[in-house]
Amino acid sequence: MHDHPEKGVIYMSEDDKYREIIKREMAKLTRPVKLKVFTSQRTEADGSKIKACMDCGQFMALLRVYEENSNGMLTIEELSIDDNPEFAKKYDIQRVPTILFIDDNGIEYIRYLASPQGAEIQPFVQALFTFAGAPNYYEASIKQNLDRINPSILKVMITNSCPYCPQVASICNQFALASGGKIKSVIIDIMANPDIGQYYDAAGVPYTVINDQKTIAGMVGPNEIIRALIGGNIRVQY
Amino acid sequence: MFNIDMDSFDPEKIYDLIVLGGGPTAIGCAIYATRFALDVLIIGKTFGGLIATTHVVENYPAITSVSGQELVDKFREHMNSLNIPYISDEVTNIEKVNEYFELHTFFQKFKAYTVCIATGSERKKLGIPGEEKYAGRGVSYCATCDGPFYKDKEVCVIGGSDSAAKEALFLAQNAKKVYLIYRREEIRAEPINKKRVYDTKNIEIITNTNVIEIKGDTSVKSVIFDSGKEFPINGVFIEIGSTPNSDVIKNLGVNLNEKREIIINRKSETNIPGIYAAGDVTDAPFKQAITGVSEGVIAAYSAFDFIKEMYIEY
Repeated sequence: MHDHPEKGVIYMSEDDKYREIIKREMAKLTRPVKLKVFTSQRTEADGSKIKACMDCGQFMALLRVYEENSNGMLTIEELSIDDNPEFAKKYDIQRVPTILFIDDNGIEYIRYLASPQGAEIQPFVQALFTFAGAPNYYEASIKQNLDRINPSILKVMITNSCPYCPQVASICNQFALASGGKIKSVIIDIMANPDIGQYYDAAGVPYTVINDQKTIAGMVGPNEIIRALIGGNIRVQY
Repeated sequence: MFNIDMDSFDPEKIYDLIVLGGGPTAIGCAIYATRFALDVLIIGKTFGGLIATTHVVENYPAITSVSGQELVDKFREHMNSLNIPYISDEVTNIEKVNEYFELHTFFQKFKAYTVCIATGSERKKLGIPGEEKYAGRGVSYCATCDGPFYKDKEVCVIGGSDSAAKEALFLAQNAKKVYLIYRREEIRAEPINKKRVYDTKNIEIITNTNVIEIKGDTSVKSVIFDSGKEFPINGVFIEIGSTPNSDVIKNLGVNLNEKREIIINRKSETNIPGIYAAGDVTDAPFKQAITGVSEGVIAAYSAFDFIKEMYIEY
């Protein structure tokens, strides 16, 4: 919060507003959950560590807001690619910072190459809750059709100003968690990772890439995504 | 987005009212219905609806100026304060079963005594060569989403409505040049936005012109006018109106007009008892967030009346 210099009125900045939302939402987390975050840290001569990537400090500070307001339910493990090259190689960490949703068996569900801020707080919090064991609306249908779904990667290109992006990110994240990792969701901020946007010729968001083959530009609902994964022949059994 | 307690979710439960849609109309309807003590659920594909993509809203009473996204955040806050459940899904069919309606999605089946269709509309496509090919690669239907990609570049907005003018004004903040291309003599934006367009130095209006093709390689490079002229451009924003999302009621026998809008009366009733409609999906002549909310609120009251009658024992 900031005091208005002239009128003495307390104003809430965008950062404060989103911090309040994170606080409010994370306070509802009642089951433990762990995330791994890859950054890059340089070890100084005196043994102290300095973040070597430009965005990592701010990125980790934001994630600590999630952690600090979770009543101890969220644990974030920061791993430096410099100190953990084998682990980074195993999970194909090609850029930092990267958030990984990995379970205790090492199965990856969701990867964030995006900062969970602004409108992106909602799908990120939802993914955290589901990863912690909260029920998943899509789970029954995804499991019912799982034998028809090949191991898949859903890449969702987003920006922080896009109103439709959080919804597409949320659907893909929930699909990934419902599939037990057979589907992986990768959320990519293409303003922060313009090379990825250029690689896929994406000049609009949301832009969903399914298995590096099919692309869907614009808002896409759960029906279209499951159709793309299954090939149109959906088995529905209530 | 989900706002439902799946731990206690009962698929056999019959809701008093299910509202379809995620925009102001649907939320306004659900807020009133909740205050009428109806058991309500919202099922929507896009939370916020089209207004979420509007960069500035200046005609919603009591809110002088707000971005569409901020307005949607306020709706969400209000909805959450009343614990109104919301599910992100798409209803594909509605059937009348005994005294209730059964609503089918790919993921679940829901039951309700009354339904309000507030599914809004979606942006019309031009239907010209190149439009589909370059969607997301230079062709866009959302300036708020994609405007930042065109910093210092040249873009065009196709259309002459108030929405088209607002898209052009938003894009002009980042783009080097914005061309507003319209098929008629004069753009038909609200006078206040029309003046803003004329006063903005990097917006140029091209009238009496149709775009008949979009060309490019990996992304958009030019558009072809109906005069045959090839016009170099980096991005094409299409804003030529919208079509109602009324397919969901196709099997119910709900009356539609020639534009496929749902015909409603002043009580937001359709010709099918228990089915209401509100907002952009209806035949209401003036389509604004505020008028949609109003129709949604009326639908909630009509549903309340309907439910009240059901519970009266004769």
